[in-house]
Parts: sequence; structure tokens; C-alpha cells
Amino acid sequence: MIEKVIEIKNLTKKYGKLIAVNDISFDVQKGEVFGLLGENGAGKTTTMEMIESLRKPSSGSIKVLGDDVSKNSEKVKEKIGVQLQSSAYYDYLKLREILELFGGFYEKNADPDKLFRMVDLEDKTNAYIKNLSGGQKQRFSIIASLINDPEVIFLDEPTTGLDPIARRNTWEIISEIKKQGKTIIMTTHYMEEAEFLCDRVAIMEKGKIIALDKPHKLIERTENPYKITFILQKDNQNFLNKLINACGAKNCLLKKLPGKDAHYEINIKQQEVLNKALLLVEAEKPESLQVGQATLEDLFIELTGKTITDEENGD
Amino acid sequence: MLKLFFTNLKMMVRGRQALFWSLFFPLMFTIIFGFFFGGDNKSLGAIVLINKSDSQISQSLEKALDDSGLFKVQKETDLSLAKDLLKKSKVSAIVEVPEGFGNLQLNELTKINLINDPANTQINLAISGFLEAYLTQVNYQAQGAKPIFSLNVESTSDKNLTYFDFVLLGIIGMALMNGSVQGIAITMARYREDKILKRITTTPLKPWKFVLAEVLSRLILNVLQISLILAIGVWGFHAHIVGSIFLIYLFALLGGLLFLSIGFAVASAAKTTDAAQGMAVAITIPMMFLAGVFFPIDQLPKWLYSIVQYLPLAPLLRMIRQIGIENISPFINPVNIIIVVVWIIITLFVSVMRFRLSDE
Repeated sequence: MIEKVIEIKNLTKKYGKLIAVNDISFDVQKGEVFGLLGENGAGKTTTMEMIESLRKPSSGSIKVLGDDVSKNSEKVKEKIGVQLQSSAYYDYLKLREILELFGGFYEKNADPDKLFRMVDLEDKTNAYIKNLSGGQKQRFSIIASLINDPEVIFLDEPTTGLDPIARRNTWEIISEIKKQGKTIIMTTHYMEEAEFLCDRVAIMEKGKIIALDKPHKLIERTENPYKITFILQKDNQNFLNKLINACGAKNCLLKKLPGKDAHYEINIKQQEVLNKALLLVEAEKPESLQVGQATLEDLFIELTGKTITDEENGD
Repeated sequence: MLKLFFTNLKMMVRGRQALFWSLFFPLMFTIIFGFFFGGDNKSLGAIVLINKSDSQISQSLEKALDDSGLFKVQKETDLSLAKDLLKKSKVSAIVEVPEGFGNLQLNELTKINLINDPANTQINLAISGFLEAYLTQVNYQAQGAKPIFSLNVESTSDKNLTYFDFVLLGIIGMALMNGSVQGIAITMARYREDKILKRITTTPLKPWKFVLAEVLSRLILNVLQISLILAIGVWGFHAHIVGSIFLIYLFALLGGLLFLSIGFAVASAAKTTDAAQGMAVAITIPMMFLAGVFFPIDQLPKWLYSIVQYLPLAPLLRMIRQIGIENISPFINPVNIIIVVVWIIITLFVSVMRFRLSDE
């Protein structure tokens, strides 16, 4: 039987006239990595913080490990671990002292040495936060959320601002936590990350959940599951017209990618159309040619009508 | 919570800025004022005595000047050299006793010559007053008259109190105010900005325990402040504390509580660390002068005094000075206690209503 760790029913949060979270319901199962995706302001962090009992819902109910969060917030806090978005820690405490201090707030404690070892920080236990790199800080902030050996862990954008190696490093840590049987709820801006890490994802837009499923199931739902990306030797409108005509305007979506000249992507509905299009593009002897399946990002763009990076730049 | 308390102490020691404002800054004041006004040496300044007479009276004047302890008496014979010293401000006045002064046989008016530096009014008043009084005595004796009117001067307390005693107790108030208002306001605002407060709320720690640990560790710092300032003032510069040391600590710590709750009120009103710093300075610096750390505020214009006497620091300083200088218990006339308690209630109310660890 599937054990529900978090049960959310008709959750709503209003700030005056603004509805930050609008009547959402979902469950999180024990042992899974659950991703909340969405643009900035979609309501991901507000949702997380209501589950963590940092914010009071305007209406609806939240149960964590069987306890109603609004009634038993202390009991719930005892059993969850929270990593906030860009939270700092005390400047004048060493890493070990911070862990011990926070450990003192809980009844149950994990072994700090084991935690330091898990994230390769065992030689930094006497360092101060300011002497850590961005990746090290992020790793420390993850183990700080594990000090009470929690059953459910909340990670709010755990890899934002990290370089690719540090990001992959964090992915491994998250997988390691999952292996210990803990449930993880995370938000992220990176679709690749969600696809890689999350057992299930919920895509939020304007306070609503517009899609919720396993990543590969969501991708199957896209209108155009296939895509070809290519760079032409030089821009050629005639060729592009020919390509669209051959595929059929209904069966494909051609777009010029930003940046480089003559860089295009065509999203395609059916396998046979893909084959046809591929032959045509190959005949043009493009500088670069990639054939692939749609990704979570493609679905996301399809659903929300814009890219996350567009939104971030607009902030 | 005990752990948080000790951790707070540890962080205060490591965060040197906090220690600077709450300890080194007031100690610096104590030492500077100590050098200027401290010590049992009541000497107002140096004077030159040129005594050309060898009469008994002139000898006794010389001795009286020495014994008074009011002046550092430098004996010279050459007037032009003495004038040179006066010009260079090495001395503040020259007393020239002419030849034959005090010789009663001469039976004519002989004058003591006083040359002073008009800039130094304090020593001018003192030396001319001293000489007038001395000459009056001598005149009476020479004419065999007995004085029938005299002035009896009584001081408010047994010991000779100095300006340093006054300012030392003021510095205690200043140290508590600066340390606590700035300390709490800035630390809490920074914790909020860095989301440390929010991070704390994700744990089961009760907010009141967090605040209590913060308050207790600050009060320990306050005890340290009071002790160091008193120790340096009393042992280093011979300040006189006539009243109960216990009462001084008691009321100083009451002040500590007041300033902590002002600090929390500022932290609840300020959105950023910079704003908290600005507000804290805007509160503490004017209060330092208007509430009477360095000068008695009853010298201010009446309308201003009628306002500033109610500033939070003012009644606190009045009470600490009542205890320390006059040995009067503030409980006898509790109006100052009431003002302080009212301030604590007001600022605590603002803090409780507005200060939150989390965003909502």
C-alpha cells in the first residue's frame, strides 16, 4: 500500500486580493522525490512554506505524516528538515557549532560527523561559513536540514546559482538521502534536474497546479514529442518554407533559436513526419544537426507559453 | 535554550564589532574622562608665585597656597620669565608678592599683584577668590578685628565629589544604551535579512526561548560593562561611589532591559540592517547628550528640559546618580522608576505586537 507522507486538500493562500496559491490538492508518497516546478511567483515557495508551517493557509488542509500542520506544527517541525531558499547561517559560528546548536532545538539528532562525511565537508567542520565556496555552502545547508534525522526534507531551489559540477554533486547527495528512505520535496528552475531527480513533478502556474505526473509520462503528453535542432550554413527562407510544407503546418512547429544565426528547432508530432523532415534537413548539409525527444522543458514551455529563462530575465 | 544562550555569548566575543561598541567605546570614554577629571588631585592648574617679601605673612600665604591643593604652585623670582610662561599657557596666573609685603611697621597699603590669563575663567575665579579671602583674614588680624558675619558652606555629601563621579555614572548609562539598543537592533535586523530568524522558525524552538536567550546573554554583557567601567573608574581614577553597589547594578540592569526592548522595537520597525543601524544611532546619539550623560540637563532651557527629562535614559541616570553620588534609594521617590517602567511597557508592547521571527 502506498503510504502518503503529505496530504494537501484545497489549499489556498491569499495576500489581500492576490491569490498566491489557488485551491490546490496533491499527495506526496513516502520515499519519493517530489518536484514543484514553475516560474517565479507561481506559488512554489508559498506552497512549501505552508507545508512547513511557516505560513498560515487562507483555507484548505495540510497533513504531514498524519498530523494536521495548523494544529500540531511543533510535532510536525520535529520530524521535517527544511532548507530555505538562500538562507544564511550565523557568521561567527563554526560549521560544527551550527549543527550542534540546531541539533539542540530537536529531540532527535543525527550524527554530525556522518553528515559532514556524506557531503565531503569533514575537513571543514571548524571553518566559518564565509570561508566556504558556493557549492560547499549549499551542501552544508542541506546537511543542516538533516540534523534532526527528519522523515521529510524540503529543499527550496537547492542548486540555484551552482556551477554544473557542484549541481551534479548536489544531485548525488539528494539521491543518497532518498536511498535512506526519506521523502524529499524540492522546487527547482531546472527542468533537466527535475527530469533527472524527481519521481513525480507538479507544474504550477499562477497558484494552480496545471500538470502532475512522473516526468516521462508528462513528456509523453506533449503535442510534439520529437524534435530536430539544426544550424544552417546560411539563412535560407526558401528551405524553411519547403520544410514546413513537407511536414504539414499542423504537424510541426518551427522556431528560430535565439543567439547564433540560422539556428532552428522544429518540434514534430509524428514519427513519419520526423523521418521526412530529417531527410530534408540532411540534404541541406547543416553545420550541426541533433535529433531528439521532447524534454520536460519543452512540455513546460508548451504549457506555460514561455521559457523559464524569459521569466527570470524579466524579474 | 541554555545552549543558545552560551552560543550567543560565544558569538558576541567573536563578533568584535559588538564588543567594541559595548565595551571598548565606553571604556575609552572612562579613561579619557578619568585623565581629565579623575583622581583625588583637585588641582585646577598651575600658577607662578613670585615672593619678594620675607615677612611672616608672605611666608604663610605661600604655605596656604601650597596646602590648599587647588593649584600647582611654581616658585620663580623673575617676573619676565613668569610672563613668558603665562603667554605660552604653561601656567594660568602669576601671583607677585612685592618686597616689604606683610611688614606691619610700614603702615601703608601694599598690594599683591595678580596677573591672569583671561581665557582661563575657572582658575581666575579660584585664585582671586582665594587671595581675597586670605587678605581679608590678614587685614582682620592686622587690625585686631573679629569677623561677625561668615559663610558656612556645606556639600551635599560627605566626600568630595568630582565631575568625574558624575560622568562615570553617565558613561554606564551610555554603555548600556549603545550596547543594547544598537546590539539588538542590528543583530536582529541582520538575522532577519540573512533569514536566520526564518530558519529558526523551521525548528520546533519556541520563539520566546529564542528571545529569552538573546536577552539573557545581553544582560551578562551588561553586567560585564558595568563592572569594567566601575572598576576602571574607581580603582584607576579614584571615583567616589557612596551608595550601594548592589542598587547600582539592579537599576543599571533595569535600564539594560529597557534598552533591549527598545532594540527589539527598532528591529521590528526597520526593514533592513542599514535602516536598523540608522534608527539606532538616531535614537542613541541625541539621547547621549539630551539625557545627561556628560552634562546635567537641568542647565538646559526650561522648555527643553521639561521634555528631555522624560527620555528613557534620563530617569535611569537620575536614579543611578542618586544611588552612586547621593546615597539616596530611588525607591523613596519612585517617579523615576515609574518613568522607566512605563517606557519598558511601551517598547515591549511595540516589540510584542510587531517583532516576528517569521515573515508573517
